[in-house]
Amino acid sequence: MAEKDIYILGIESSCDETAASVVKNGSEVLSNIISTQISIHRKFGGVVPEIASRKHIENIMPVIDEALGQANLTISDIDAIAVTYGPGLVGALLVGLSAAKALAFANDKPLIGVNNLEGHVFANFLSGENLQPPFLALVVSGGHTSLLTVEDYNTFKLLGQTRDDAAGEAFDKIARYMGLQYPGGPEIEKLALSGKKDAIDFPRPLLPGSYDFSFSGLKSAVINYIHGLEQNDKEVPKADVAASFQAAIIEVLVKKSQLALLETGLKNIVLAGGVSANKALQDALDIGAAEVGARLVHPTPILCTDNAVMIAARGYYMYKNNEFSDYTLNANPSLKLGAK
Amino acid sequence: MLTLGIDTATKVCSVAICRDEEILAAYEINMGMTHSEGLVPQLEQIFTRTGIKKSDIELMAVSIGPGSFTGLRIGLATAEAIAYSLKIPLVGVNTLEALAYNLPIEGILLAPILDAQKGNYYLTIYEWKQGEIHEVDAVRVVPGNELGTILAAYNKNVLLLGECAKLAGVLPCGVTCAPCTVSMPKATSVAMLGIKQHLGKEDRQYFGLEPFYIRRSEAEELWEQRQKNLVKSDE
Ligand SMILES: [Zn+2]
Repeated sequence: MAEKDIYILGIESSCDETAASVVKNGSEVLSNIISTQISIHRKFGGVVPEIASRKHIENIMPVIDEALGQANLTISDIDAIAVTYGPGLVGALLVGLSAAKALAFANDKPLIGVNNLEGHVFANFLSGENLQPPFLALVVSGGHTSLLTVEDYNTFKLLGQTRDDAAGEAFDKIARYMGLQYPGGPEIEKLALSGKKDAIDFPRPLLPGSYDFSFSGLKSAVINYIHGLEQNDKEVPKADVAASFQAAIIEVLVKKSQLALLETGLKNIVLAGGVSANKALQDALDIGAAEVGARLVHPTPILCTDNAVMIAARGYYMYKNNEFSDYTLNANPSLKLGAK
Repeated sequence: MLTLGIDTATKVCSVAICRDEEILAAYEINMGMTHSEGLVPQLEQIFTRTGIKKSDIELMAVSIGPGSFTGLRIGLATAEAIAYSLKIPLVGVNTLEALAYNLPIEGILLAPILDAQKGNYYLTIYEWKQGEIHEVDAVRVVPGNELGTILAAYNKNVLLLGECAKLAGVLPCGVTCAPCTVSMPKATSVAMLGIKQHLGKEDRQYFGLEPFYIRRSEAEELWEQRQKNLVKSDE
């Protein structure tokens, strides 16, 4: 007899996207609704937590309703409700979490609390590539830079992480310093296309003997370079700065990933998190992985940034593993990878 | 009309089931615990203990502010998701009016207040007349140290409700704090006021309510101030 189909409703509100999605059997996307707030936060130069929370409460139920509608299902057809409970902005997380808990309660459905970072990793299962654990994962986002091994669908081992600024944070801060609009990462990437990546020799902090990262020194070097030119009334070659800074970050990420691939002997590496949308990073990592006999898998563009498909996908494997949450589940803004 | 009420506007987490003017069950916790952890477990218990079926609930009433922004959103997100699931209408009830609804007593002014941060309070003045509650003065944000003067100016006996404990020693003659038995936000009052507000209405919205914030976010206020300064320096 064929196994019963499993429909998971995913809900995500950890930062500035309100999202809901229905995913069948962890792999078939029936709907993917994302209400983004990027344009609202732009004039403030970054995400304003209280404003984000206000937009979330406005959008959460319409987004959930649309996700169910587009999947042609009602809430009673759903097998479980998966929701991001961290990491992220606490007030933002609480909106999606409260709605998810009440949906689970009112409909007597199981509740599954999902770690947003694990969700990002699982976005790769929907990339259309044939991918199975074990593999290496490089998570690069505004708040995180981590290397981990995904041993099976429910076991993750952290190899290293950032000791100070996350890669995405360095991108955002440099972008802001250069007067680029929020979000800064994609702006730097665009600018870098017309610059020379070997124009300026920025430091590549490698921290030998560890899989940890440190980007605050690099960030300061870039800011000092710009500041130095400005002091002398010289023009800042913005495109060259962007290209050289991006190249330095990418080189560190690729070298560390290569080391980890060689040491673990893993043949697949996945890219995850907001910065995974960066095409230059994807290309460099693709080549870097091939150099050590491995293959890179990265999410499709729509699944690189926060979305609820990845939360539903992660939720599906937790459902299979009987990992449910009870109604006391609270938001955890600083939730770590692999933490329960 | 079988109604489920929720109030998480302050640090009190209160849920209740009422049928018209009758309180069937009420469960409130006032120990500063997080609403996120406690609200749904409290709902679960109230249904388990009463044996009332969720599907028998006909109306969802929620306290929508003023109050703690985060608390209001937890309550509203929960209420919306329940209304949506049970396909029942959702009504938002003013938190200050629900407080005044705790004490249907005529001949005095009721002044429910709630903490508005930085020494300020949300204040509305109500009065009961012939069994109906009336708003005497609309909601405003007032500094705590001016509250006594403002209330004394009414030249009537005034009873403070809500988060007034801190003010007990500094109130002028004729203005007193209501006893705690009627001073706390109660989901029973939210439910009953909700029933009243819903009566005769046909609309059936499961979501689309907004919390009654009164104040904009600090970031917006600062941004606006900066824009004004920019305009000034241009002149
Ligand atoms: Zn994320």
